[in-house]
Amino acid sequence: MNWSSFKYLAHQGLHSLRANRLMTVASIGVLTACLILTGIAGLFGANINSLVAYLGDQNETVVYLETDLTEEQIAQVDTAIRSMTGIASVTYMSKDAVLETYKGYMGDSASLWDGFEGSENPFMANYRVVLEDLSDLDAKVAELEAIPGVAQVNPPTELAGVFLGIQKAVNIAAWSLVVVLVVVSVVVISNTIRLTVFSRRKEINIMKYVGATNGFIRMPFFVEGMTSGFISGCIASAAVLGGYALVLYFSARKLSGLWATVIGASLLPMGQVWYWVVGGFILFGVLIGSLGTAISVRKHLKV
Amino acid sequence: MIVFENVTKVYPGGNTALKDLSLHIRKGEFVFVLGHSGAGKSTFLKLILREEKATSGRVLVGGKDLTRLKEREVPYLRRNMGVVFQDFRLIPTMTAYENVAFAMRVTNIPERKIRTRVPYVLKLVGLGEKMDCLPEHMSGGEQQRVALARALVHSPQLIIADEPTGNIDPELSLEMMELLSAINSVGITVVVVTHEHELARRFHKRVITIDHGHLVRDSEPGKNGWGVHSDEAGDEADAPLGEVRL
Repeated sequence: MNWSSFKYLAHQGLHSLRANRLMTVASIGVLTACLILTGIAGLFGANINSLVAYLGDQNETVVYLETDLTEEQIAQVDTAIRSMTGIASVTYMSKDAVLETYKGYMGDSASLWDGFEGSENPFMANYRVVLEDLSDLDAKVAELEAIPGVAQVNPPTELAGVFLGIQKAVNIAAWSLVVVLVVVSVVVISNTIRLTVFSRRKEINIMKYVGATNGFIRMPFFVEGMTSGFISGCIASAAVLGGYALVLYFSARKLSGLWATVIGASLLPMGQVWYWVVGGFILFGVLIGSLGTAISVRKHLKV
Repeated sequence: MIVFENVTKVYPGGNTALKDLSLHIRKGEFVFVLGHSGAGKSTFLKLILREEKATSGRVLVGGKDLTRLKEREVPYLRRNMGVVFQDFRLIPTMTAYENVAFAMRVTNIPERKIRTRVPYVLKLVGLGEKMDCLPEHMSGGEQQRVALARALVHSPQLIIADEPTGNIDPELSLEMMELLSAINSVGITVVVVTHEHELARRFHKRVITIDHGHLVRDSEPGKNGWGVHSDEAGDEADAPLGEVRL
C-alpha cells in the first residue's frame, strides 16, 4: 500500500466517524460504559484486596518465651526469629513492656497492676511476629516452635482463615465481574460496529466490484474502530480516575477514627493505579474496537 | 476474452441456474446476453465477476481460469473489467468525481494520476461540467454515465453492463447504448446483459439468449439478419486482458 492510499484510508476512517455521528456516539457510549463498569469492578477488587491484606497484616503471631531465659538465650531466640524468611516484622515485648501495655488498656484503673512489677510480673516476654503471607502460617508456626527457648506460639489461625477466605472471595467476585463485562463489551461493540458496517454494505459492495482487496476495505473500518476504542478509553479513564480521586479525597477528609486508619491505610494511592487504568482502558478499547471491526466486516467481504 | 466450457451452476438448496453452458466471446466483440427474469443471466454475470464459482465446467476470462483463481487474486481480475449496474451503485455522499476517483483509490493508484485521469474519463462520457454534482442532483442517465466512467477509469478490456437501460428512459437508453458502441469501437469488449429484446434487435450485434440456464440461441447479425453464431473464437478467446487503452 502506498503512502497516498494509506493517507486516504486513514482519512476515510476518520471521516466516517464524523459522517456516521449517531453510530459513533452510540459505539463510543457503549464501550465507555463497559470500560467504566470494568474499571470500577477492577479497582473495587484491587482495593478490597489491599484492605484485606492490610487487615491481615495487623494480625500478629505471639511467640512466648520461657520465663527463665538469660539475656544471652533471649538474644539467640531473637537472632533465630529474625533470620527466618517470610517475616514482615518482629517486635520484642519484654515482661515489663507487656505489663505497661496492660496498664494502658486499664486506663484509670491501671493502679490495679501496681503490685505486679519486678519479680512479681506474671507476664511472659514475647515476640510479636507478622508474617508476609498468612497462607504460610502453619509452616512458620512449626518453625517458631522449634526454636530453643520458645515456650508457646499463639498463631491467629482463625483470623488468618477468615482473611484468606475474604480475599479469595473478593478476588473471584471482582475478576468474574471483569470477565463478564469484557465479554459483554465485545458482544455489544461488535454488534454496534456491525450496524455501522451494515449501513455501509453498499459501499463495501462497490469497493469489491471495482477491485479493492479485503485489506483495503477493512482498513477504514479498523481506523474507525480503533479511534472509537481510543476515545472510549480516554473518556472512561478520565471518568474512573476522576471518581477514584473523589473517593481518595473524601476518605482523607471526611473519615475519622478507625475508618480513617483502616480505609486510609489500605486504599491504593492514585500513583499506583492511574497508569493501569489509562493504559489498560486505551489498550482494551483499541483492541475491542479492532476485534469488533474484524468480526463485523468479514461477513460483508464475501462478494 | 470470455470462454464458458460446459458450465453448470447449482446453488446450495438445489436450484440449477446454468446447465452445461458453453460459449465464446471474442476480444473486441459487442455481445448482448438476453434472457427473461430467472433465465440465468445474473449467474452468468456472477461467474464472470467470480462472485460465484461454477459447480462444474470452466470459466475463462482473459485467459484466466476463474474456477482455479484464488480468492486473493479476484480483486486483480476485477480491476481489468468495468461493470455498469442497472441501479448505478454510486455512493450517494460522493460527487461524480469522487465516485470515479474512488474506483482508482481502492486500487492504490497515486493521487496525481487520479487528478488527471478522472476528469478525462468524465469528459469522455459527457459529464465534464457535472464533476462536482452529487448523484441525487443528477438525472438517471447522468448517473448511469458516472457509473460508466467509473467502469472505464481503469482502461479495462472488458465492460459488462447489467441491464444498463433498466432505470433510464428510452431516449437516454439509446444514448447509453451509443456510448457503449463507441467504447467498443476502440477495441474494448462489451457484454450487455438485458431482458429487452427490442434493444438487442435495434443494435445489430451478436445476441446470446439464455433460458432456464441453457444457451438457446447464439446469433450474429450479418448474412441473413440474425444467423446462428459459428464459433471462431480460436486463440483470440484466450487473449489476455489489458492491451487496448481508452
